[in-house]
Amino acid sequence: MTEVSLPVEERRWERLPPWLRPRMSEQPGSGRLWRIETTLLVIVGLFLAVAIVNDLAREVRINHRLVADLTTWRHYTQHDYVNISIDQETLGANSDREVLCGNTSAGPPGSKTQICLAVWGPIVAGRRAVHGGWYLPPYYEDVRSERYGCFGAVRGLCPR
Amino acid sequence: MSAVAQGEPRLAHERSERWVPALTTVCALLLVAVAAEIVIDAAAGPSPVVPKSPELVGWLGGVGERLGYRGFLVALLVSSGAYGGLAVLSRRFRVRAISRRWAIALVAVLQLIVFAGPVLLSTDVFSYVAYARMGLEYGLNPYTHGPVAIVHDSIYQYVGHDWDRVATAYGPLYTLLSYPLAPLGVVGALWAMKLEALLASAGTLALTWRCARMRGFDPVAAILVVGANPLYFIYGLGGAHNDLIMMLAMMAAVSLTIAAGAPKPSARREAGAAASVVAGALIKATVAVLLPFMIVSKRRLAPIVGTVAALALGALVGYAVFGIHGINVVAALNRDAAFVSTDSFANEIAHLLGKPGVFPIDHDLLKAALVLIVLHLLWRTWRGYDWVAASGWALLAISVTSTWLLAWYILWPLPLAVVTRDRRLLAATLAIQALFIVHQISPLLAPVQ
Repeated sequence: MTEVSLPVEERRWERLPPWLRPRMSEQPGSGRLWRIETTLLVIVGLFLAVAIVNDLAREVRINHRLVADLTTWRHYTQHDYVNISIDQETLGANSDREVLCGNTSAGPPGSKTQICLAVWGPIVAGRRAVHGGWYLPPYYEDVRSERYGCFGAVRGLCPR
Repeated sequence: MSAVAQGEPRLAHERSERWVPALTTVCALLLVAVAAEIVIDAAAGPSPVVPKSPELVGWLGGVGERLGYRGFLVALLVSSGAYGGLAVLSRRFRVRAISRRWAIALVAVLQLIVFAGPVLLSTDVFSYVAYARMGLEYGLNPYTHGPVAIVHDSIYQYVGHDWDRVATAYGPLYTLLSYPLAPLGVVGALWAMKLEALLASAGTLALTWRCARMRGFDPVAAILVVGANPLYFIYGLGGAHNDLIMMLAMMAAVSLTIAAGAPKPSARREAGAAASVVAGALIKATVAVLLPFMIVSKRRLAPIVGTVAALALGALVGYAVFGIHGINVVAALNRDAAFVSTDSFANEIAHLLGKPGVFPIDHDLLKAALVLIVLHLLWRTWRGYDWVAASGWALLAISVTSTWLLAWYILWPLPLAVVTRDRRLLAATLAIQALFIVHQISPLLAPVQ
């Protein structure tokens, strides 16, 4: 292998050892580095692909659970409403426990007294178990200070 | 091997080439049909694909059917498949799969269809208009106030909820470019932003063509791979993102650099190329990553002079108009680097490792990984590797290691990837885009009703 000769203005780099000198173009025979880089790229690509597929499967599982939760809310309240909010954090992120809030009577989302249900456990016959809940006044977000009438296993989540 | 045996593969290849024009036509028609369907259906009424927006395309209102998210995903998958087919056909076969004229017409039609439709998949353009109106109509500094400061302005209701308290993260050049659009009113400014994005896209494609031709690549394949890319025209142009203007400046720099090297180096063009990168960074800071590669590759004074001069001018104007906050790019980058999006690879890796999401330590690890990648690429560039390819890899690494990943971020390296000899860059960019699209499809597999 020979060094690619540098133009006159590049002669200042000749003081550097050969392996540190800049080149105008890549040296032929740098195939080993190319192979290492390509191998690393393939490994990173496969790792990202596994992460994507895993996350996709996780989202699909969550979607199945949310469908069961919505069915549970409609069955429990006997209201076939569409606009039901789902909160996955109040009872612990990544806990599979959800809080679903919706109007107790027909109206725009949140415009009536809302009933919130705490739902967790396995899906049985397309639904999950309701372990308790609370009420919210119209036009209020689900924050602890606004909850009232807590019932079931989540009584401690109401201020009064 | 006998002559007959040698002739068989050639014959089979020639036979398969007979199908190339027909397959190409099918792919092109699918792309156009899907783009038209997305735009017409998106204009039909409320859709999860269309952010809340003022009436922009009323004349399209009664034509299509309401576009649901699942319908959009099917359309995205079909157009991605057609794009993949078109990209392979245009690069794989000796027979020209598509003529120059038809390639330009196809790309132009795709861009014009999306331009004629509503704003798609992002509220960013409303923030652009809000910042412009804040500065020009209300005398507020968009680098110190979020759009909530103009809560009574008609644009405010359209700004994304997550961004209404956030000051602009864009460069002072972009903010200044957007100021003249503010007096046009909300609808007028939105159309002007859409037009700006369309022109930037056309300019980027024209420069991609030029660069590909100057470097000895097929310019037809190059503009098809960029301009017919569904993420490019649906997400990038559909959302009228200023990333397209940044990419225009980036490709102008690449074009000037390539032209500067032939037949003999031109200091003026190299300085101009560096200044163009700085101009791009004053639109959106990300593109500044090209500068070290350009400087290390050229090893001449001209790019450094161009950088310093353009930076000094930009900083002076930015400071004069917006004060110190207008030129404090580091603060804006640090703030944005802390965000986490569900589509980021970092978030998906965290889930794979059993964590609920990205932790602060992960941000540091990702930054360290990015620094190592950039240092390796700088070393390779110093030793003769193509600086354009190195820049493309750096942009791809930024998007992959970012915890805030959006579809139009993985477009950044695409125009560079089609004008470099390292085919791995294009393969990696398209693979990352494919993974991004795959991650979107969970509503198709398990719809929530």
